[in-house]
Amino acid sequence: MEITTDTTTQAGDSLQAGGVPTAPMHPHRHISRLMILPGIVLLLLLVLFPVVMEIYISLTTWTPTTGSQWYLAYRNWTWFGNYWDGLTSPSFITAAVRTIVMTVAATGVEFLLGFGLALLFLEKFIGRGVATVLFLIPMMIVPAVSGFVFLLLLRTDGPLNTAISAIVPGTFEARWLTDPTLAPVAVTLVDIWQWTPLMFLILLAGLMAVPEDQIQAADILGASWFQKLRHVVLPIVKPIILIALIIRGMEAFKIFDAAWLLTQGGPGEASSTISVKLYREAFQNSQWSYVAALAIVVMIFVSLAASQAIKPLERQQERGA
Amino acid sequence: MKALLTSLRMIVIAAVLCIFLFPVYWTVTMAFKPAEEWTPTGGKTYWVPDHPTFDNFRRIFGGTPGGSDSFLVSTPINATDSIVTSLVTSIVGTLLALAVGTFAAYGISRYRAGGKMLGFSILQLRMFPPIAVIIPVLFLWTYLHLFDTRLGLILIYGAVTFPFVVWLMKSFFDEVPREISEAAIVDGCSQFGAFRKSVLPLVKGGLATTALFVFILNWSDFLIALVLAGNNVVTAPVFLSQITSAATGEEFGSRAALGVILITPPMLLSILIQKHLVRGLTFGAIKR
Repeated sequence: MEITTDTTTQAGDSLQAGGVPTAPMHPHRHISRLMILPGIVLLLLLVLFPVVMEIYISLTTWTPTTGSQWYLAYRNWTWFGNYWDGLTSPSFITAAVRTIVMTVAATGVEFLLGFGLALLFLEKFIGRGVATVLFLIPMMIVPAVSGFVFLLLLRTDGPLNTAISAIVPGTFEARWLTDPTLAPVAVTLVDIWQWTPLMFLILLAGLMAVPEDQIQAADILGASWFQKLRHVVLPIVKPIILIALIIRGMEAFKIFDAAWLLTQGGPGEASSTISVKLYREAFQNSQWSYVAALAIVVMIFVSLAASQAIKPLERQQERGA
Repeated sequence: MKALLTSLRMIVIAAVLCIFLFPVYWTVTMAFKPAEEWTPTGGKTYWVPDHPTFDNFRRIFGGTPGGSDSFLVSTPINATDSIVTSLVTSIVGTLLALAVGTFAAYGISRYRAGGKMLGFSILQLRMFPPIAVIIPVLFLWTYLHLFDTRLGLILIYGAVTFPFVVWLMKSFFDEVPREISEAAIVDGCSQFGAFRKSVLPLVKGGLATTALFVFILNWSDFLIALVLAGNNVVTAPVFLSQITSAATGEEFGSRAALGVILITPPMLLSILIQKHLVRGLTFGAIKR
């Protein structure tokens, strides 16, 4: 008898599942807590504790070179000195703005290229399967390797300049990695190369799911190719485009590997992103408490952005597309 | 007109494909080029290796062809050590994330444990730049004597990929009808028994996919291994960035050789998970 009531509760709960979040059900509170317990412990140990520690250190001027353990950092208390220094430091602000610009540029170019390619792949052709698989290769390349190979490709006497020289008149000798304006472009280029395939793949999946009959209906009504794209396809694919942009933007914002391996943020700080900036301050200048403050600022910023960005992701998972 | 358009389309696709695959081609050929062909000599770029050789591979594994080429890295290890370290830390880290994450995912999917907030905050973790989170971990690791150890890397790999496992596995569990576990419970299984005996077998494929994904993530890591290890424990990507030689300066060929070894497992594994590639890379948001 008990089991029967049990099942009814579950059925009722599953009805609500799609919409309003429901409180954990009584009969299973125990097991559900037990199941998420290891995860909670892992998060507490490896995320919450370090973050609390980071906040603590960010309020001091402690560095390992102070000679004392980190928990004695209160002896060098400074309140929000590091935050003030960070938020008024032109080089941090510049790095932050540069990271945002690079993120937007990389995501934008990846979207345009990926969408264009996905449209080209929409109609069947011989070897489409093979070509799709080949397009996936760049995203499977370990970032340390892609950083290395772009170092070779973008040398002043490297294959890229040589190839461009063959097309344009004269010798083309762009100093990709040492020119202050070209260096950030070079770093963005690696991201574009590596992740356009992901954009392509997501968008292709989205485009393929557009119901055939709706397109046929538009055909009967005499819609042009562009009209079909604009009024039939795009509205259906929009949520997927949104997800692709969010996920790529999120990942591109974290960019470190390519920037570090290609230019180490240089020349000077010309291609330094937030991640590179933090790494350099920590490991080359040993400004630990300063870095802690900057890291907290970045995390607050990301959390605010994430709370907005996450909604479409969640909606999509619930919908179960 | 139609035929013209089709062939134009094919040409564009082929051209873009060539551009996108060229860096891979360059890595692979570089691995087989002798030192003289690494960079252009006398204005000649070696588009294909003129004298292909295995010297680069021999060199990173410790052999010194010709004897004169002293092979120097900043760490007292060789490529074999670094590959073993990468394998061990990636695989064990993956198992850890999988063990902890799968339970949490089932708890969230089936019982809505933690309400909406838990899933949200778990995913949010993946949005933080790793460097911002990793620095306090460095302090903690130094304090616990986990810095520069394999165990230290395993723990952090498990933690960093845990959110990924939760979201991906949640998307697989969401697809299993509740009736399945309910039926098992009616048949006398405990809640946990229902999970283990009737739900888990249904998501076997999802579990394998998630495992391979997480392995690739860990295997690809550069930053974490750079910050939290690097003296005695060196992973292959970090080793790759450190290879230099006293004799020839930049060891392009040797680095490319290690690069080829590094990129092979993810490429082969990606064929296995091709069906779920989009789902994995969108945290389970898009399910095809």
